[in-house]
Amino acid sequence: MIPGLGRALVLLALLVATGGALVGVAAALRPSGAGREWTRRLAYAFSALMVLANLLMVYALLARDFSVSYVAQVGSRQVPDWVAVVSLWSSLEGSILFWGAILGVFVATATWSLGERHPEYAPWATAVWLTCGAFFAFLLAGPAHPFATVAIPPPDGPGPNPLLQNHLLMIVHPPFLYLGFVGMTIPFGLASAALLAGRLGADFLRPLRTWLLVPWVFLTVAIVLGGWWAYEVLGWGGYWAWDPVENASFLPWLTATAALHSALLVERKGVLKGWTITLVQASFLLTILGTFMTRSGVFNSVHSFTQSAIGPTLLAFLATSLVFSVALLATRVDRLAGEATLLGARSRDGMFLLNNLLLALFTFTVLLGTVFPLVVEAVRGVQMSVGRPYFDRMAAPLGVALLLLMGVGPALPWGTATAGQLRKALLPPLAGALAFTALGLALGVRNGWTLVTLAFGGYTAQVTLRELWLPLRQRMSRRGEGLARAIVETQRQSRRRTGAYVVHAGVVLIVIAIAVSSTMGYDTEVRLRAGESADIGPYRLTFLGADQVREPHRTSLVARVEVARDGRPVAVLGPRMNHYDTQREPIGTPAVRTGFGHDLYLSILNLDPATQTLGLHALVNPMVGWIWIATFVMALGGVLALLPSRRRPAATVPAGAPAAVQPEKP
Amino acid sequence: MNRKVLIAGLVLVAPLVAVLLIGLGRDPRVVRSPLVGREAPPFALRPVGGGAPVSLASLRGKPVVVNFWATWCVPCIEEHGVLGSGARSWEGRAHFLGVVYQDEEKSIADFLRRQGSAYPTLVDEGGKTAIAFGVYGVPETFFISPDGVVVEKSMGPLDDAALSANLQKALGRAP
Repeated sequence: MIPGLGRALVLLALLVATGGALVGVAAALRPSGAGREWTRRLAYAFSALMVLANLLMVYALLARDFSVSYVAQVGSRQVPDWVAVVSLWSSLEGSILFWGAILGVFVATATWSLGERHPEYAPWATAVWLTCGAFFAFLLAGPAHPFATVAIPPPDGPGPNPLLQNHLLMIVHPPFLYLGFVGMTIPFGLASAALLAGRLGADFLRPLRTWLLVPWVFLTVAIVLGGWWAYEVLGWGGYWAWDPVENASFLPWLTATAALHSALLVERKGVLKGWTITLVQASFLLTILGTFMTRSGVFNSVHSFTQSAIGPTLLAFLATSLVFSVALLATRVDRLAGEATLLGARSRDGMFLLNNLLLALFTFTVLLGTVFPLVVEAVRGVQMSVGRPYFDRMAAPLGVALLLLMGVGPALPWGTATAGQLRKALLPPLAGALAFTALGLALGVRNGWTLVTLAFGGYTAQVTLRELWLPLRQRMSRRGEGLARAIVETQRQSRRRTGAYVVHAGVVLIVIAIAVSSTMGYDTEVRLRAGESADIGPYRLTFLGADQVREPHRTSLVARVEVARDGRPVAVLGPRMNHYDTQREPIGTPAVRTGFGHDLYLSILNLDPATQTLGLHALVNPMVGWIWIATFVMALGGVLALLPSRRRPAATVPAGAPAAVQPEKP
Repeated sequence: MNRKVLIAGLVLVAPLVAVLLIGLGRDPRVVRSPLVGREAPPFALRPVGGGAPVSLASLRGKPVVVNFWATWCVPCIEEHGVLGSGARSWEGRAHFLGVVYQDEEKSIADFLRRQGSAYPTLVDEGGKTAIAFGVYGVPETFFISPDGVVVEKSMGPLDDAALSANLQKALGRAP
């Protein structure tokens, strides 16, 4: 019964999305209130159907209904219920279904937030969203097909990929990534709507930027959560490997970041409209490219799903979207053009331009490194891979240049600055640069890139903190407000500005943490018998013995390693090897002791319970914990920028809801 | 119509789609072995359960199938029957060897006692032979020509058709 009901929901969603897209186009071409109303209704109906289809699948997974093909594929009676729910996105077909639900939620929320406003853009945007929705519904009805009926249901299933069962972070990383990826559909629809309508007015810039910022926040968190998961689960001691699929998530982040900045120039100077629209479109197209990479079997990665018919379908969608975007840009971009203002090089405007240039270069570099093996194999038939050294060598200079720009840009005034202004703006933050560098040298930093990162980070940190502090000080001295009240009021009145600088502070922190952790760590590989010890840094590690732990779905060998610091035992860590009943290779889970300054990271190389010998890889990773903290700061900044402010109504607030919202011009 | 935008867009987009399209047919998990076309690394290993060491050099003159496997590997166990019937049907025309990959000799011996085997399985102390052959995961099977050159490497379990095609190739005939 469930397979049939699921198929009906998916087919209905396909029908509704297609109809909604057509009605949207009609309502845009021949404006009518009824047409717009129906577009919205169909958008809500699509969302509801997608969410229902997902709830049905979750029910089937929990009920272990193996007559549903997807449940037969990833379900298992052995796994706990949380794993059963998480299985929704653990494999190809389910992940597409989950995509549909997220898209539904986004489309419904965006439709609701636009409401009756922006009538010249809204039906176009909804039509684009629903076209994407129709495509994913089509994938679910045809190539992916999670609701196929299994004629003779098996008594039990294999359960999801054990790597996904290995850590709780796996519950949060994929949903965040989907929220980031799928969410890019909304700004794409809005940008396409601006092109289709032939104008990008200041009033429409606001929803565009808000809806770009929402997936940006999710994507930021998702990228780092993915790194965190790799760090806690994969056991090689790092968090980022420039794996094709990691790159796939990083690419749209880069273009979206660039777009968030260029949108400010559009707002302030009326320039770069076409460029900003291009960046928004690119962000969406790169998410589809990323989805293709993981689901086509073209790239080998820890993330890849198996090969399937979905690959060609996704490629067709990607190609169509690319052609659509290029054609739309080529035919319509001239209508958007604002007045050409020459931007001064020695100004904040110029720094924004440079920031966009560097981010575009960064995107291109990563994209090139990611697809280069494919190019080489296509042209010369030789297999190769582009490894970390390429990416690290390219990312380090681009990263530190961007870090410096984050300090120089906000320090400079808008418009052209005089020499005196330049000196006054740019010289004081050198104190911060000196302080950070001196601190690094005192703590033993000798790597050139890391010292440069510290210097630029110190410079930018000082500028950022000054920009955050100045309005507070003004309020406190002019209005006699207390600090807490000044913070609240400043945030309320300039949410975007405050949010942006909080994000910048997070970026300074994360770049420094990445530089330090990737250049200052050390490791050792030791072979220990029970009772033997080895030293690494300030720690003495003693192998106490190995235990076997039996759980319903796996058997684990746990090595008990006592960690002593300065002669005092501080912890017993338990790195483990997990043997899943359904898999041939054991999967290690490292044990991490996270500290303020550094992490102690233990990973099993091999463990022989019979002879009680342990091959152990021990690493000391400085500042890794700060990466997670910095991400929280960045996400906080993004959320602050999204909160409704008093002066300007946020685009996410529906017309006529709170009293503080001013009605917008139609 | 803005021609510059159109041309720039197409210049960026067309090669990307073309490359992805070409890449669509390939399986990234197929790793070509650098050993193919070169002389197989020599080894002399003792069989499970004892006996005189078997050296690869002593098997010249006929193609050799070297299969790396382990009892903890489910696909290897599925493949075991294919290799067994292959060894029987190719008897006298090809040599088959199993090499234990990261496994206990006892569990291998138990398994062979239960399932039977048509060819010797060798013990690879310290995994040196697997390292020399660049074994990535099991099962992995190397096809060696009568004059000792690695002709093909197969990853994952073999079926009857693949086994016989690769053996034909090792004999120097088109599969």
